[in-house]
Amino acid sequence: MKKVMVGNHAVSWGVKLARAEVISAYPITPQTQIVEELSEMVAGGDLPARFIKVESEHSAMAACIGASATGARTFTATSSQGLALMHELLHWAAGGRLPVVMADVNRALAPGWNIWTDQNDSLAQRDTGWIQLYCENNQEVLDTTILAFRLAEEVDLPVMLVLDAFYLSHTSEPVDVPDTELVDAFLPPRVARHRLDTADPHSYGALVKPDAYMEMRLHQQQAMSAAGEAHERFARDWSARTGRAWPALEAYRADDAELVLVTSGTITSTAREVVDGWRARGERVGLVKVKMFRPFPTAALRAMLRGKRRVAVLDRNISPGHGGIFAEEIRSALYDVPLDDRPALWGFILGLGGRDVTPETIDEIVVRTREAEGAPEREDIWVGVKV
Amino acid sequence: MADAIPAVAVSTTTTRVNPTGSWKYIRPVWRDRVAPCNAACPVGVDIEGYMNLLREGRDTEAIDLLLRENPLPAITGRVCDHPCETACNRCSLDEAVAVHAVERALGDAALARTQGEARTRHNADRVAVIGSGPAGLSAAVFLARLGYAVTILEAAPEPGGLLRLGIPPYRLPRDVLDRQIAQIRGEGVSILCNVRMGRDLAWDTLDWFDAVFVATGAHRSRPLGVPGEALPGVHAGLEYLRRANDGHAADLGERVVVVGGGNTAMDCARSARRQEADVLVLYRRTREEMPAIADEITEAAAEGVRFLFLAAPIKVIEQRGRVCGVAAQRMVLGHPDASGRRRPVPSDEAPFSITADAVITAIGEEVDDAHLPFALEGGAVPVDVLGRCGTPHFFAGGDMAGHERTVAHAIGAGKRAAIGIDQHLRARRGERPPPDDVAALRWGGAGNLSMSRWRQDDPVPRIDPVNEVVGWAGINAAHFARAPRLLDWIVPPGRGRSGVREVNRGLSRSEATSEARRCLNCGVCNDCHVCMIFCPDAAITPDPSGHGFVVDLDYCKGCGLCAAECPRGAVTMTREGL
Repeated sequence: MKKVMVGNHAVSWGVKLARAEVISAYPITPQTQIVEELSEMVAGGDLPARFIKVESEHSAMAACIGASATGARTFTATSSQGLALMHELLHWAAGGRLPVVMADVNRALAPGWNIWTDQNDSLAQRDTGWIQLYCENNQEVLDTTILAFRLAEEVDLPVMLVLDAFYLSHTSEPVDVPDTELVDAFLPPRVARHRLDTADPHSYGALVKPDAYMEMRLHQQQAMSAAGEAHERFARDWSARTGRAWPALEAYRADDAELVLVTSGTITSTAREVVDGWRARGERVGLVKVKMFRPFPTAALRAMLRGKRRVAVLDRNISPGHGGIFAEEIRSALYDVPLDDRPALWGFILGLGGRDVTPETIDEIVVRTREAEGAPEREDIWVGVKV
Repeated sequence: MADAIPAVAVSTTTTRVNPTGSWKYIRPVWRDRVAPCNAACPVGVDIEGYMNLLREGRDTEAIDLLLRENPLPAITGRVCDHPCETACNRCSLDEAVAVHAVERALGDAALARTQGEARTRHNADRVAVIGSGPAGLSAAVFLARLGYAVTILEAAPEPGGLLRLGIPPYRLPRDVLDRQIAQIRGEGVSILCNVRMGRDLAWDTLDWFDAVFVATGAHRSRPLGVPGEALPGVHAGLEYLRRANDGHAADLGERVVVVGGGNTAMDCARSARRQEADVLVLYRRTREEMPAIADEITEAAAEGVRFLFLAAPIKVIEQRGRVCGVAAQRMVLGHPDASGRRRPVPSDEAPFSITADAVITAIGEEVDDAHLPFALEGGAVPVDVLGRCGTPHFFAGGDMAGHERTVAHAIGAGKRAAIGIDQHLRARRGERPPPDDVAALRWGGAGNLSMSRWRQDDPVPRIDPVNEVVGWAGINAAHFARAPRLLDWIVPPGRGRSGVREVNRGLSRSEATSEARRCLNCGVCNDCHVCMIFCPDAAITPDPSGHGFVVDLDYCKGCGLCAAECPRGAVTMTREGL
């Protein structure tokens, strides 16, 4: 059944279809509509879940951790400052191997105070041990929300699904809402492998000494590796049921491309238009969309970009003192490609704090990348800035 | 991976291996404190206690607990100005619990119960009670319950005192009053009417009794002290009310001026409205200073009574030998007087006149000391807290001995005198020595006395009680949702509101139970389990007795969450015992 809905409500519907059992959240723009809708679903009896009101995002994640430890399917949502406040507990969820699912609506961090989109909030949580999945449109948002629960519960790791502020969160699109039976067949009830039981009390998150800590981390890393494979499997399964494929990496008209744009989030849709334009003029320009940032799909990316001449990475984020974060990750992935097959890489910084990224912006990137002579002049090339 | 168990930090033993109790320097104690309504009640009712029993569906016990401290709840539920509601902590959340309405519903339910056997006497002492108003009825029934043979001597043909003479039936229906008095008789109290002490019977006749409680009230309307006061058509407020309440109201004519701002003035004005007169209340201060119950002022205004504030009569104007109007002087408010209210002083404006066919004076009542065995001081019989007045074996209370002249204060005074008399006679009989600290009997140390504490048979199980009132700061509002106060069903002003028909129809029993659920049970553990739920060490468990909680000190690390989260201020942290 198709419905017209904003991206935030696509998350809410995904959570409802996934039959989340505990939801705890604290409101923050531009996320609030997600939990607002969920609270109404719970209050109205449409979603038989506990909705726990809390006084901060720190508490929201703490409540999710506690609930998840008892075996409940658990969800929260946040943005920007709220996600930053959760930081400590993101480690607790991941280290506790709890399959919490969270939606993060990408919003720039303050100061200057800003409610518009960029990716620094989620990327700043790169090393907390959360799986991160970036979405391009509202259909992908809904489908990814459901998949996130299956993936999280398969590998006992928390999943953060990420959507752009306003471009997705507050923009209406037609979304196909899958039937309950379809989702139930895809996503079985959670079977927790650890379960906090008050009848047999144990201390969770207790002291672990040097003789065991490292093995815990190794298990976590192995689970991350397994998550890549599991995601591929579940994405195929979902595609077989719905006809919609949302792979970890998607190549668009990139097979014979000489120049490949690498994007994530809603910039991807704009870039598709730009690629089509260059193709119409006979230019071999293609696109790779990165959906999965953690675990990073290093091998697949390497295979996709191997042999290309030029790669332009579009980063709506900045690691101050270094460069665009996707660009750095991709550079690192390409290091093992033999020099002859290794593309030159330009890293562009754009769209920070919600600044519009238009087809013209991306055209300019294609032109600059095509016409560059020699190595890139610097690792971070800022586009669309008033100097 | 799906089948592998992830490595996580989980203890192999239970948490009991780590006695976190060794970390603490403070520990929680459960101590029942006192709800502000109980402390504010002039009768000394355990309001919080019966609200809690109602909440639990224990209606019979709730009624018993109420009657134990207030033998006249069907009456106070109707006419009390409910200071309990002013003190209610719920005022800071939304609106006060409608205590008066719940009390009325319970009082009416008590009247509907079949009467038990009259109490058998426990001792040979006899007590006389002079006056059957609320103070006398209260003292009498408490004394009967304490095992005394009690006889009330009443001057009027029917018992009830001011309840019958002064309060109109549209506020207190006579069948309610009659049934309440019948219930008191059923508790073993004898009432003899048409006996006025000092006239029909000499005071020294009472030597036959072991103790005497005198509560003959304040019945003499204070004169205006202006020319023309003796003219036909000028009525003393209480006298007018006595006849009106008896169904023989004086003929007032079309226009009536009522002088005064107290409850008598309001009752006169409303009764005069029921004679279809045009009624104007003349009060020398403003509405803020009026001593009448706020509800009564509102009701009077709703019924069409008009008010002229800052005006005082200076003369009753005569025409053909009777009243034809009032000459009045505009007043302004000056500096505060002894009562704390601003003193009215005449303005510079010229006097003006008001046309009136009748004038009712209701500027206060005085004690008629013509036949009293005591001397008055400052217009009242001087008594101590237990009603002792310096004359051996004599006790006094109610309107004649106090200046807070409300039904509730009278009932409270009757209870205190009953305790005073019991203490006196027990000492004389060589029984239990009287406590040297009356304050311990008071709710919160400053409220009225608790009969259960005096009798030491409080049916409410209290956890380590402390006599300390819990204010709003002691309440954790996060645990309470806002809920509107249930309103009494009041007959709207208009044609239906006439004669003796009761204006306020109160709440149904089920509504009263709903309203009781709004009670926060301030200061008193009601086994809500919040402390247990919030304890991060699972160190709190229900007490095996079924009431209260026990804390496992080996694991309580003294974090204080239980005390912080307790919705009602019944848990505190202490260093004691560590």
